[in-house]
Amino acid sequence: MKEEVVTVENLRKSYETYLRRGLFARERKIVEALKGVSFRIYRGEVFGLLGPNGAGKTTTVKILSTLLLPDSGVATVLGYDVVKEAVEVRRRIGVSLTVEKGFFWKLTGRENLMYFGMLYGLDGPELKQRVQRMLELVGLEELGSSDKLYEEYSLGMKARLSIARALLTDPELLILDEPTLGLDPPSARLLRELLIRVAHEEGKTVLITTHNMFEAEIVCDRLAIINKGTIVAMDTVDGLKRLVSEDITLEMLVVLPAKVSLKQLREEISEVVSGRVEVDPTEEGTRIRVVMKPSEKEQATQEMLRKLHSMGCSVRRIEVKEPTLEDVFIELTGGK
Amino acid sequence: MGLWTLLKSGLILDIYFFKNNRAQLVSMFAWPYILLVLMLGMGFLFGSAETFKSNVGVEADPVVFFVASTLIAMASMSVMWEVGGTVLFHRWTGTLPYMLIAPYRISVTLVMSYIPRYLLWSFMQLAEFVPVLIWREGLVGGLADALVMGLAIVIGMLPLLGFAAIFGSFLLTIKEETNVLSWLNPIVLILSGAFYPAYLFPLWARFLSMILPTTYTFELARISSLLGAPKLAEMTFLIAVLLGMSIFYNALSFTLMGKAEKKALKSGAV
Repeated sequence: MKEEVVTVENLRKSYETYLRRGLFARERKIVEALKGVSFRIYRGEVFGLLGPNGAGKTTTVKILSTLLLPDSGVATVLGYDVVKEAVEVRRRIGVSLTVEKGFFWKLTGRENLMYFGMLYGLDGPELKQRVQRMLELVGLEELGSSDKLYEEYSLGMKARLSIARALLTDPELLILDEPTLGLDPPSARLLRELLIRVAHEEGKTVLITTHNMFEAEIVCDRLAIINKGTIVAMDTVDGLKRLVSEDITLEMLVVLPAKVSLKQLREEISEVVSGRVEVDPTEEGTRIRVVMKPSEKEQATQEMLRKLHSMGCSVRRIEVKEPTLEDVFIELTGGK
Repeated sequence: MGLWTLLKSGLILDIYFFKNNRAQLVSMFAWPYILLVLMLGMGFLFGSAETFKSNVGVEADPVVFFVASTLIAMASMSVMWEVGGTVLFHRWTGTLPYMLIAPYRISVTLVMSYIPRYLLWSFMQLAEFVPVLIWREGLVGGLADALVMGLAIVIGMLPLLGFAAIFGSFLLTIKEETNVLSWLNPIVLILSGAFYPAYLFPLWARFLSMILPTTYTFELARISSLLGAPKLAEMTFLIAVLLGMSIFYNALSFTLMGKAEKKALKSGAV
C-alpha cells in the first residue's frame, strides 16, 4: 500500500483585500482562494499543481509550508497537522517559494547555505558536508559559483541555490513553487532532471506548482489541475488526456507499390486494427489515419508495420496524434 | 540541534556580513566615536567641565558618563531596531518565509537569532571604548567601568528583547512595509532619560519613563560611570528591576507574539 505523505481534505481559504477608492477611502473585498481542495500525495512521487494565475496554487503551497493558516479543512504532512504541529512539519519539509530572491545578497552561495543550514538545525562537519554535497548536486560547484556573492548570480544560479537550500536538511517532502520560472533551458532541464532523480531514486516526495505544460508532462507522476480555488481534475498525464479524448490518431505516410490499390490497403489495415481507418492519396504519398484506443497503440502500430512491409509498402513517416496537456488544461479551465 | 544552533546561526550571519562588507565594519567602529564626540562637543559648548557636569546633572567625569550613555543608547537602539526591524529586513530581502520555516516557534526564531548579533556588536563597541576609559580612570578603574557597562548591556538587553519583540510582532501582522520603530526609537530614548534627567519631565512622561526598561538601563549606565563612588545598593536595585521587567516584558511579548503570529499567518502577511 502506498504511503501518504501529504493529505489535504476540504481546504478552504479566503483573503481580505482592500481596493483603494481615493486617498483614504477603500473598499473591502473577500477573495476565496481555495474552495474545498482535497488531494493526496504518496511517497516517492512528483505531484504537480497546474493552474492559471490566481488559481490557488501558491495558497495551497503556503498552507502546506506552514506559512499560511487555512480557514477550514485539514492538511497533514507525514501525519503532522500543518496548523497544530507546524514545528514538526517544518522539520520534514524543504521549501522553495521564489527563485529570484530569498537569500542574502552580500553572502556567497556557500555562506547562504551555511547560514540557513544552521538556522534549520544542522551544525558541525555534517553541515559543511551537506552544503558541499548540495552545491555539487545542483551544479554550482561545477560552474565555479559556490563562493561567488549571491548578488553576482544569474537567475539560473539563484534557482539552483534555492533548490539546494530546499534539499539541505534532507527533507522527506519538497515543496517547490514554480521552480523553473524564467530559467534558461539548460538550467530548467537540470532542475527537472534533479527533481525526478530525488523522487524516483532517493524516494523523496515532491510537490511542484507550474504553468509549464511541458514541464508538468515530463516531471510529474500525477497532476491536479486547479482553477478558481477548486481542483477540476486529478490523474496521471495520460489519464488527464483521456478526459478530453478517449482516442488517439495514428497517422502514417506510405508509398504504395503499383499493384496495391487504396481499397486493398484499407481492407488489409482494417484486418489488423480495430479502429476507424481512413486512406487518402496526397502529393507526398498515401496517408493512412487510424483512430484507436491509447491501449492499442503499441500492438496496432507493430501489426500495421508488419502488414505494410508484407505488402511491399515503404513507410516514410509515422506520427501519433493525441490531446496535449495544454488541450486538457484549456478544456478544463475554460481558458482560450 | 536546538537553540544553540539557532544562536550560532545569528552569529555566523554577522561574521559573514562583516567579512564581505568591510565598509560596514569600519562604520560600526567609527559611529560610536562620532556620537560621543558630538555629545561631548555640544555639552562643552555650554561652558567648562564643571558647568557641563552641573548642566547634565551628573557628578561623574563627563567623558566616562557619555561613553556609558553612548554605549547603552546604541545598545538599546540596536535591540529596539534590530529585533523589531528584523521582520522588515527579512521581508525586504525575501528571506522572511525561509526564516519562518525554521523548526521553532516564529517568535523564538526572530528573537534568538538576533541575540548573538546584539552581544557581538555591543561588546565590540565596548572594547573600542576601553582605551578611553583607561585614559580617564586609570587601568583598574577603566577596566572596572568596562565590566559594569558590559553587565549593563547584558542585563539591559533582557527586558528590551521582549519590549522590542512586541513591536516586531506588530510589524509581522501589517502588510505595509513601514518601520514604526524609526519614529518610536527617539521617543523611547527621550522618555528613558537618555538626553534629559527624567525628574525634569511632566508627570505623564515620568509615568511612561517608569514603565520603560530603557530608563533603568540608562540609570545603570549613569551609576556605572560613577564607579569612583560606587552605589552598589542602587545598582543592585536597578538590576533587580531590570530582571523583573525582563520577566514581565518577555512573558507579555511571548503571548502577544503568539497572537501576532497567528494573525500574520491567517492574513497571509508573510
